[in-house]
Amino acid sequence: MGMRREIRVALAGNPNSGKSSLFNGLTGSHQKVGNFSGVTIEKYEGYVDHQGYRIRFVDLPGTYSLTPYSPEELVTRKFLIEESPDMVVNVVEGPNLERNLLLTTQLMEMEVDLLVAINMYDEVEERGIEIETEQLRGLLGCPVIPTSAKKKQGLEALLDHVVRVFEGDIDIRKNKLGFRPEVDGAIREITGLLRHEPDLSRFNPHWLAIKLLENDREVYGLVRDYPLWLKVERVLQRVLGETERLYRTDPEVVITEDRYAFIRGVMQECVLTPGEGRVSLTDRIDRIVLNRVLGLPIFFFIVWLVFQLTFTLGTPLMDGLDLFFGTIADAVSPLLVNETLRSVIVDGVIAGVGGVLIFLPNIVLLFLGLSFLEASGYMARAAFVVDKVMHRFGLHGKSFIPLITGFGCSIPAIMATRTLKSPSDRLATIMIIPFMSCGAKLPVHILLAGAFFEPSVAGNVVFGIYMFGVVVGLLSALLMKKTVLKSESEPFVMELPPYRWPTARSVFWQSNIKAMMYVRKAGTIILLAVLLIWVASNYPKNPAIDAALERQIATIEAGELSRGAKDVAIADAENSASAEKLEYSVAGRAGRLMEPLIRPLGFDWRIGVALVTGLAAKEVVVSTMGTIYSLGETDETSPELKTILKNDPVFDRATALSLMVFVLLYIPCVAAIGVMRKEVGTWQAVALYSGYALTAAWVFSFLTYRLANLFL
Amino acid sequence: MVLSELKVGEKAEVEGLLAESGVRRRILDMGLVKGTKFKVLRVAPLGDPVEIFFKGMYLSLRKNEAADVLVRKIGETGDGAPMREGRGGRQSGS
Repeated sequence: MGMRREIRVALAGNPNSGKSSLFNGLTGSHQKVGNFSGVTIEKYEGYVDHQGYRIRFVDLPGTYSLTPYSPEELVTRKFLIEESPDMVVNVVEGPNLERNLLLTTQLMEMEVDLLVAINMYDEVEERGIEIETEQLRGLLGCPVIPTSAKKKQGLEALLDHVVRVFEGDIDIRKNKLGFRPEVDGAIREITGLLRHEPDLSRFNPHWLAIKLLENDREVYGLVRDYPLWLKVERVLQRVLGETERLYRTDPEVVITEDRYAFIRGVMQECVLTPGEGRVSLTDRIDRIVLNRVLGLPIFFFIVWLVFQLTFTLGTPLMDGLDLFFGTIADAVSPLLVNETLRSVIVDGVIAGVGGVLIFLPNIVLLFLGLSFLEASGYMARAAFVVDKVMHRFGLHGKSFIPLITGFGCSIPAIMATRTLKSPSDRLATIMIIPFMSCGAKLPVHILLAGAFFEPSVAGNVVFGIYMFGVVVGLLSALLMKKTVLKSESEPFVMELPPYRWPTARSVFWQSNIKAMMYVRKAGTIILLAVLLIWVASNYPKNPAIDAALERQIATIEAGELSRGAKDVAIADAENSASAEKLEYSVAGRAGRLMEPLIRPLGFDWRIGVALVTGLAAKEVVVSTMGTIYSLGETDETSPELKTILKNDPVFDRATALSLMVFVLLYIPCVAAIGVMRKEVGTWQAVALYSGYALTAAWVFSFLTYRLANLFL
Repeated sequence: MVLSELKVGEKAEVEGLLAESGVRRRILDMGLVKGTKFKVLRVAPLGDPVEIFFKGMYLSLRKNEAADVLVRKIGETGDGAPMREGRGGRQSGS
């Protein structure tokens, strides 16, 4: 078997151009997710075998332009320059060709081997728009292929073209965009100067010249240190004077205007848009959804709906998984003769991992909802609707999307803040994301709300906890913006993409990625944490307790009670012995040590243990409580944790609420802290944040506990 | 006048952008260049930001940013529907 020859293809396109759907359609199941080096922007890679080639696709982040405005734009640019893929497939949204072509013109300027995929072509035809692809091909100087990711049309043709371009079978002319004469002259002059610097030969001098005229800071940095800079600067100064005089503006604006002039020409030549008589679907939906009166209620209803769906659909699935893990534990138990090993595997591994995995349905459902909102176009509307409020708290409407993602998991949410340009907006958003109750905290809320409130109320209690997190988060943002993070906020200029029914595939794919992240966490960090907890709650052993227990049992057996009464007495004795053993262990001592601190919140040392181990991952709070409480039971087949908690004298409604609030607000899991450290850059900021979160958690839990005791 | 002074339903044409605007690059990239005709579609339920429509694109921007866009009013239709003219490309039929 010979090695397949590889073709490396980058997919570039605007957000909402259907680029990711196309990527999915092209690469099928051969995909993996990673990060672009140095940044936390997701990088999707996949391949497909076609005509004897392995075509490797990289799905670049969606961008409108290649100016260094956002990290996504920088990543795209950097990838194209440094990784120099064999060719770039520019995915454009067929029904909105005009605004998608800006990126195309900039890719043309980079003089890469370019193919244009006119995506959503089914919609183009449906709407009666006529695109003369042959003309377009002539004007752009590159192959133009109509595709529809949704209908799976044109994918084969696209792959055929990729191969043909690679084999040199299709000539790509690399047309040059013409700018106004003053600018064109300056580009030629600067290009000539740059050619003399061998260090810069890895860049396209024509592109560098355009970027210099566009006042591109990154490119300035590249060129400024070379002696030829003096000459280049002279040209730049001259052309600035000329454009000021002739057009009353600078070359940057002239270049952009000329790109749009070219695009206008292309549109006039190649695209026939029917005079639309009817109002588009997007307009009709937005008249209601963004209505001045209905906009906010609809927004809250949609968010509420997503959470309701998550829970009502998730619960039966959860029960099923619970049963499944119980069955496994029962099946494995008799096979393990060694008592220590059995305890590790049944009480530690199966109980711990099972307790974490049963929440997978909830997480999958939540992310299905969020991905659907994102892909349908509503997410941007949500930012539009709430921006004023967010802005009032010193945040950006766009902060809303990372924040709502924080309901799923803080880690992708913190990464998602990269769409925010202003560092202070980003920092403030990152710092309050952990207050958005993440999917891993959900098990804790469900457990406690389910145990202490009637089913009809439990949902509202959990909803209330979520809202409380939002309120604390927003107030914290305001506090930060007024004190440590005083600076300009990021401007709000955002597209509201047309509504589209998302493909099931792309929604499931997004949700699947999040689910896999969660499972991976469960398989690694959580498993490790669970084993550590098992060790910490079993060692050191105190033989004296066992000896005392044996003596006690012997005394009971020797006594005159009935068989039933004897069993009850023995069970009680074993219970208290288990509790003593746990108290004697490392975990117990740690919990005891912090008990005075958390006593005012209604917590005992066992909750303290769960809070500490919960730093590994929030769902571990549940599995720890499971471990601690079921170890405290005589019966090996541990009854439901809920029942144990309900019967525990320490626990009542006030404690449950207080604990929910504490778990909601205190430091996030180690993984989230790691990501946070990476994103904010310093440990000091993370430490400051941790101090703040712990204080907030303590204060609000204390208030909750006291108030709940008064009113419940 | 500037974009933020327009009312819902009014149409205008971009005349330029304030040179010192921090959002100039972004606004340019989104296609609000000199000569672009657009219509103010609506204001968010809480009064800010505003949504405009041009070249098939729905764009939202805060009044703060909209104040950096110099415009010339060219008419109004009164309703919230996007305008049909000013789109790129030839128009068939009508």
